[in-house]
Amino acid sequence: MKQQQQHLKLQAWVDGELPDGEARRLAALVAEDTAAQALVSELRALQAAMRGSEMTRAVPDSREFYWSKIQRQIEREARQAPGAAAAAPLSWLRLWQRIALPLAAVAAAACVALVAVKPAPPRAVASPGDEIMATSEAMDTMTYHDQSTGLTIVWLQDKNAAAPADATSIQDDNSIDTD
Amino acid sequence: MSAPDDQTEKSDVDLVQAAQKGDLLAFEELVARHRDKIYARAYSMMRNEDEALDLSQDAWVKGWQRLTQFQGESSFVTWMTRIVINLCLDQIRKHKRQRLESIDAMDDETGGVERQMPVVDVNPTDGLERGELRQRIDGALAKLSVEHRTALVLHEFEELEYKEIAKRMDCSIGTVMSRLFYARRRMASLLAGLKRESAE
Repeated sequence: MKQQQQHLKLQAWVDGELPDGEARRLAALVAEDTAAQALVSELRALQAAMRGSEMTRAVPDSREFYWSKIQRQIEREARQAPGAAAAAPLSWLRLWQRIALPLAAVAAAACVALVAVKPAPPRAVASPGDEIMATSEAMDTMTYHDQSTGLTIVWLQDKNAAAPADATSIQDDNSIDTD
Repeated sequence: MSAPDDQTEKSDVDLVQAAQKGDLLAFEELVARHRDKIYARAYSMMRNEDEALDLSQDAWVKGWQRLTQFQGESSFVTWMTRIVINLCLDQIRKHKRQRLESIDAMDDETGGVERQMPVVDVNPTDGLERGELRQRIDGALAKLSVEHRTALVLHEFEELEYKEIAKRMDCSIGTVMSRLFYARRRMASLLAGLKRESAE
């Protein structure tokens, strides 16, 4: 175990990974120990042989074929995650598009909303939920509202008459049907 | 899909700047220039042509996606090499999770018989042409366990320090030292064996 630790220290010394004090101690040890010298020599020879000796290898595919897969994947991932696509290189044009397009969308939505919620013209008659007042003491009113159809029926009745004098239906869309 | 001629005359720095602005043609030229090196590094680590191809292509996709993060502290190809190494390490971890633990795996970690090997007293690479040396080293690397080979590739080819290797391999510095030591002992032994075979 001690020998193993010493071997690892010698390797660290060869690799320049030891602090100065310990490196000096190891240098002194190597100067006196032939076994340590042999190991250091082997490690150094291998290190020298390996540095810059990585096997060169050419991609077995043609430039076009190799690139086509990369390009497809870039495009696919950009489609799948528009946010990720924007995280890819940003040109000024892309940056502008990134800011301007959402703003344009918000502005368009605001215009549509304004048109949609434009105040309705004054209503001629009450709509459901409005208070109905009979201003004439001679008149009685009765209302019926059907939630499912949105239909409200108002009976105006002359107290002196036996049958309803008039009936007006009001739909939720404010159109008025008169029976 | 060949890039226009003017792309081939641009420097890496110019191409990277153009690619950072969204120029895919400039990026294609960078891929064409450095694809062999990125593929070779993936192959050194994975020792499998299909995996090396896939991982090198994934690395280029990642490179494109993260290009705005490249600030030029290192060369572009060094930056790309780090990306492919990380992808290979992820893949190696996946393989490791998938394979069953065995006695062999224990030997991989501790170095097995390499601890007992005699020191090689003759430089096994003396007198070799560069090309032949590369081939022998490549052949010997193929015989190492994936953990030993990875430590050696990161130290000798990528020239990373122990601390950086430990971080990337997600292990302690002690484990890195141990893997590196036994990988070197085994390499020296394999290369010496090759030298003896060629002398006979």
